[in-house]
Amino acid sequence: MSILKQVVASIKEGDALTTVALNSDDYRPTSIEIVKHLLSKKLGGIYITTTRPSGSIIADLKKVKADLGDLYFVDMISLTVGGETEDPRTMFIESPTMLESVLLNIGLLERRIKSKRHFVMFDSVNGLTIYSEKRVLKEFINVLANTMRLRKSYTMMITVEEQTSDALASMLKTLTDRYIENTDG
Amino acid sequence: MIVAEENVKPKRVMLDPRGGRPREKSKTYIEGLDRILNGGIPIGNTTLLAGTVGSGKTTLAMEYLINGAKNGETTCYISVTEPSSKMLENLRTYGFFDDSLVTEGKLNVFDLGIINDRLGVERLDGSYTSKDMEALLGAFEDIVDELQITRLVIDSITAICYQLPDKGAIRNFIFRLGQFLATFGCTTMLISETVVDARTQTYSIFGVEEAVADGVILMGNVQRQGDLLRTLQVVKMRGAKHSRSRQLVELTPIGLSIVPLLKWGQDTGQVFT
Repeated sequence: MSILKQVVASIKEGDALTTVALNSDDYRPTSIEIVKHLLSKKLGGIYITTTRPSGSIIADLKKVKADLGDLYFVDMISLTVGGETEDPRTMFIESPTMLESVLLNIGLLERRIKSKRHFVMFDSVNGLTIYSEKRVLKEFINVLANTMRLRKSYTMMITVEEQTSDALASMLKTLTDRYIENTDG
Repeated sequence: MIVAEENVKPKRVMLDPRGGRPREKSKTYIEGLDRILNGGIPIGNTTLLAGTVGSGKTTLAMEYLINGAKNGETTCYISVTEPSSKMLENLRTYGFFDDSLVTEGKLNVFDLGIINDRLGVERLDGSYTSKDMEALLGAFEDIVDELQITRLVIDSITAICYQLPDKGAIRNFIFRLGQFLATFGCTTMLISETVVDARTQTYSIFGVEEAVADGVILMGNVQRQGDLLRTLQVVKMRGAKHSRSRQLVELTPIGLSIVPLLKWGQDTGQVFT
């Protein structure tokens, strides 16, 4: 079953929190495909990016003609690399080490979402390993997962398979309702 | 003979699981702060808002006043260290500030220098006599009483303490200030400037203020991978069952927001005295 079909099934079956493990070749197109599909189903969305500037993701989404009307971003990278930081739909975090700001900004953006239901996409968990110590990251993932579970929005934690250690994968499997990966071979 | 009544259901009594009856609170309306204070600051408390340079003390105190003013209270800010006009200019850069609160008299801003001038207590050597101290306490009392102030901020108490002759005078001044403010039901924040010396952060310069105050909220910075993060911790708050965990403070477009700080993401070497 394709990754997108597995995500749709996960939502239909009432999951709150899933891990979506993508291989590096499929990572960009599949994450864009998932967001476009969920937006087309009239869900609002919050996209947290740790690896690519939100501007680049917006450009990708526009290319595939996704409806961006109720999609917002938490961008942990643009300020660090000196990129564009003026987009009104985006909350820019000063540094990827400021992990608590993610939770805070999700809370702020949830107030702006107009749709009845929304999803949160965290892209990507493995991207944070570049900036944070293992134990800080472990604590953050634990807090993030449990906070999102309490907030009852559908949350996807994206991770790139080749860059996910066994320990991180095992943690994500424990914390999330479902571990979605490519089973087509 | 006593006959037991049948079918009489015992009346449900709602109890606070932590016991006791909570005091009435002055809500800060600051995102996250009322949660860790279990509803807000107990009305009439004098709280020392202590912190290092750039930790967000003045912003937090001003937001506390502005949120109160927006909810119909009359509030007052006494500026000791900088002219109020300059302070108001800085305030206008925040989304939560509204000029009409000043024009409508909901937010009153005074310069201590001007109060001193009017009282005739401005001394060349910068120190107060006990008579000056009485005059100043009297002036604060008049402001709170006449304007019916329910929220007061003195920024900073440290600058006033520098003008008092000794620790005994400081203790006496803060104790009496807190006492009359409590009788007026005025909730007060005294801003205390602190320094970190050899990884040790104090709650005040003179070491007296925190003992007399009803509450201590400590603001500071922690380093994470070279980045400075603003933090806040409620050290004591008489009359409130509050959190004592360290929190992260962030300035957002809607004002300050407070979320729990990750336990492993903080510098654990700092000592508080």
